Amino acid sequence: MPHIVNCEVLTHRELAPGQFRVALQGPAIASEAKAGQFGMIEVARGYYPFLRRPMCFERILADAFTVLYKLEGEGTRLLSAFLPGQMISVQGPLGNGFPIESNLTRHIIVAGGIGVATFPGLAEALIKVCDTAPEVVLAARTKDLLLCEQDFREMGCKVHLATDDGSAGEKAYASQVLERLSPAPGTRVYACGPMIMMRETSRVALEAGAECLVSLEAQMACGDGVCLGCVVESKHESEGERMIRVCCDGPVFDARMVDWEAHNFAYDP
Amino acid sequence: MPGWLTGKPTISPMTPDLSINLGGLAMKNPVMVASGTFGYGQEYDRYFDISKLGAVCTKSLSLNVRAGNKPPRLVETPAGLLNAIGLQNVGIDAYLREKAPYLRKKGVTIVANIYGHAPDEYVELARRLEAEGAADAIEANLSCPNVHNAKLATGPSMVSQVPEQVAEYTTSIRSATKLPLFIKLTPNVVNICEPALAAQEGGANGVALINTLLGMAIDTETRRPKLANIVGGLSGPAIRPVAVKMVWDAARVLKIPIIGMGGICIAADAIEFLLAGASSVAVGSMSFRQPDASLRVVEGVEAYLRQHGIPTVSDLVGAIRV
Repeated sequence: MPHIVNCEVLTHRELAPGQFRVALQGPAIASEAKAGQFGMIEVARGYYPFLRRPMCFERILADAFTVLYKLEGEGTRLLSAFLPGQMISVQGPLGNGFPIESNLTRHIIVAGGIGVATFPGLAEALIKVCDTAPEVVLAARTKDLLLCEQDFREMGCKVHLATDDGSAGEKAYASQVLERLSPAPGTRVYACGPMIMMRETSRVALEAGAECLVSLEAQMACGDGVCLGCVVESKHESEGERMIRVCCDGPVFDARMVDWEAHNFAYDP
Repeated sequence: MPGWLTGKPTISPMTPDLSINLGGLAMKNPVMVASGTFGYGQEYDRYFDISKLGAVCTKSLSLNVRAGNKPPRLVETPAGLLNAIGLQNVGIDAYLREKAPYLRKKGVTIVANIYGHAPDEYVELARRLEAEGAADAIEANLSCPNVHNAKLATGPSMVSQVPEQVAEYTTSIRSATKLPLFIKLTPNVVNICEPALAAQEGGANGVALINTLLGMAIDTETRRPKLANIVGGLSGPAIRPVAVKMVWDAARVLKIPIIGMGGICIAADAIEFLLAGASSVAVGSMSFRQPDASLRVVEGVEAYLRQHGIPTVSDLVGAIRV
C-alpha cells in the first residue's frame, strides 16, 4: 500500500554532469518497495511545478532508498538543490515491480541513458533470488552519460558498454549489442530507456524467442491510476483495455503488450 | 500551555455546522471532489476515509466504455496542467456493477457525472443511475473540452457554449430524474451568466463552475504541440482567479446554488469561492498531488469557522465585502 511520507535527504551527489543520486530515509516506503516500483516526489513547496515527479527506486535498503535522475526541467532543477538533512515528501511505493523468477536460464538487463535508474535494484533482487548475476548492456549517447558501471561490476555482473559516438565501449545501439549476446528461449531481457530503444531491444529479444519486459516512462499527474494521463496504447482490441496506464498497470510491461506501431515517437523527449 | 506561548490561535468552543443542502442534496460539509480528479473514489480511499467528504463526484460516465484520446494527454504548465484525456471511462454498466456498490458500502454521498453525445444519452444515463440507486445527485458534463471539434476553433465545440442548448439538454435530463441535477459549465464563453441562467430555466438544481479553460502548449525544439490532441483543458491553481470571478458573476444572477471549483488547493481557496457566492466547493487537480487535499480543506474550513466564531458554513456564502 502506498504511503505519503516526509523523507530526510541522507546523501545527494552529482555522479556525472547533470546526473544525480539522492538517498532518502523512508522506512514505510523502503520496507514495502520492490525493484521496478517508483515514488512520486514533491519537488516544490509552492505550485510551480504543481505536480509530484515520478521517479523509480534505484536501490532499496532497509529503511531508505536511492533515486537516480537527470536534470531535465524545473522539477529536477529544484530537486537537485535539496541538501542532506532537508525533508522531501514522497508518495510510494507505486506501480508494479519486476517479476523475479528463478526458473529462467539467463537474465540480460539493457539500459539506455538514465533508463538505468531502475536496474541496480533489479540486479540485486535477481542475485538474491536466482543466485546468479544478470548480464548488463549499458548504453548511452556518450561516455559521460553511462551510469552505474562500477555498481554492476561490484555486484558481479558482466557489463557491456555501448555509446552512440564510440567514446566508451562499442559504437553501437543497445539493441545491436543485445543481438550479439544471442538471447534465446529461456532468456529474459529487461529494458528501460527511450521508447525507440525499447522497441528495438524488444524486437531483437522477441525475434530470438526470449522474453522481454520493458519499464516505461510517461508524464503523470497522480501516479496512482486516477488521472489517466500516462497511458500508452496496448495491443488489446477492446475499447476498455486499449489504453494501459504506465503508473498502475505498469510501469513494467511484457513488451508484447505494447502497441509499438501505434506509438508516436515524435512526442518522446 | 496558553495560546500566547504556543502561538496557536484561541479556538472557539462552539462546533460549527458544516452541513449544507445543495439544491436538495444533503451534504455533511460543502467539500466535494471534482469529476475526473478522483477516479471512482475507491482509488483514494486507500489514503483517507472518503466518506468524510461532503460528496464524491465520479469520473464522467458514458453509455459505452471509452478509451479516450491518443497520448500524450497530459502536460504540466506553470501552476497547473493541461489535459486531453477525452473522457476515458469504464462505462455505465461497469460503474453500476463494480464502482457504485463500493461507494454505497462506504456510505459516500455520490454525485454521478454523466456525459453523452445527445440529450437522449444523458436521459438514459440519469434514468439508470436513479433506478439502480447508484447516485444521490447527477452532474451533467456539458463542457468537456477534449471531445467534438474543440481543436478546430470554428464555432462552438461544447454544448454549454450555447445557452439554448444548455436549456434543451437540462430540460430533457430534468424530465428523466427526480435526483438533484447539477449542470457543469465551461468557462470558455463570453458571459458565464447566460449558460448558467439557461441551466436554471431548464430546471437544474445547481451549476458547477468551472470546467477547464482551453489551452495549448508547444515544444519549441520540435515545434509540435505537447498534446497529441493539440489543445487541452487547463486546471490547477493557475485558473483559480478566473473561476472565482465567474462564480461571483453567476452568483449575482442565479437563484440556484453554485458548486465552485478551479484550482482549490487549501481551505483558504475554498473559502474564497464561498465568499464569492458558491454554496459548495470541489477540490480538483490538487488531489493528484495530495490525495487527501479535500479532507484537509474540510478540516481547514471548520477551523476557519471556529476562529472567526461563525456558526454555520452557509453564513460564508456570498459574504464578500464589496
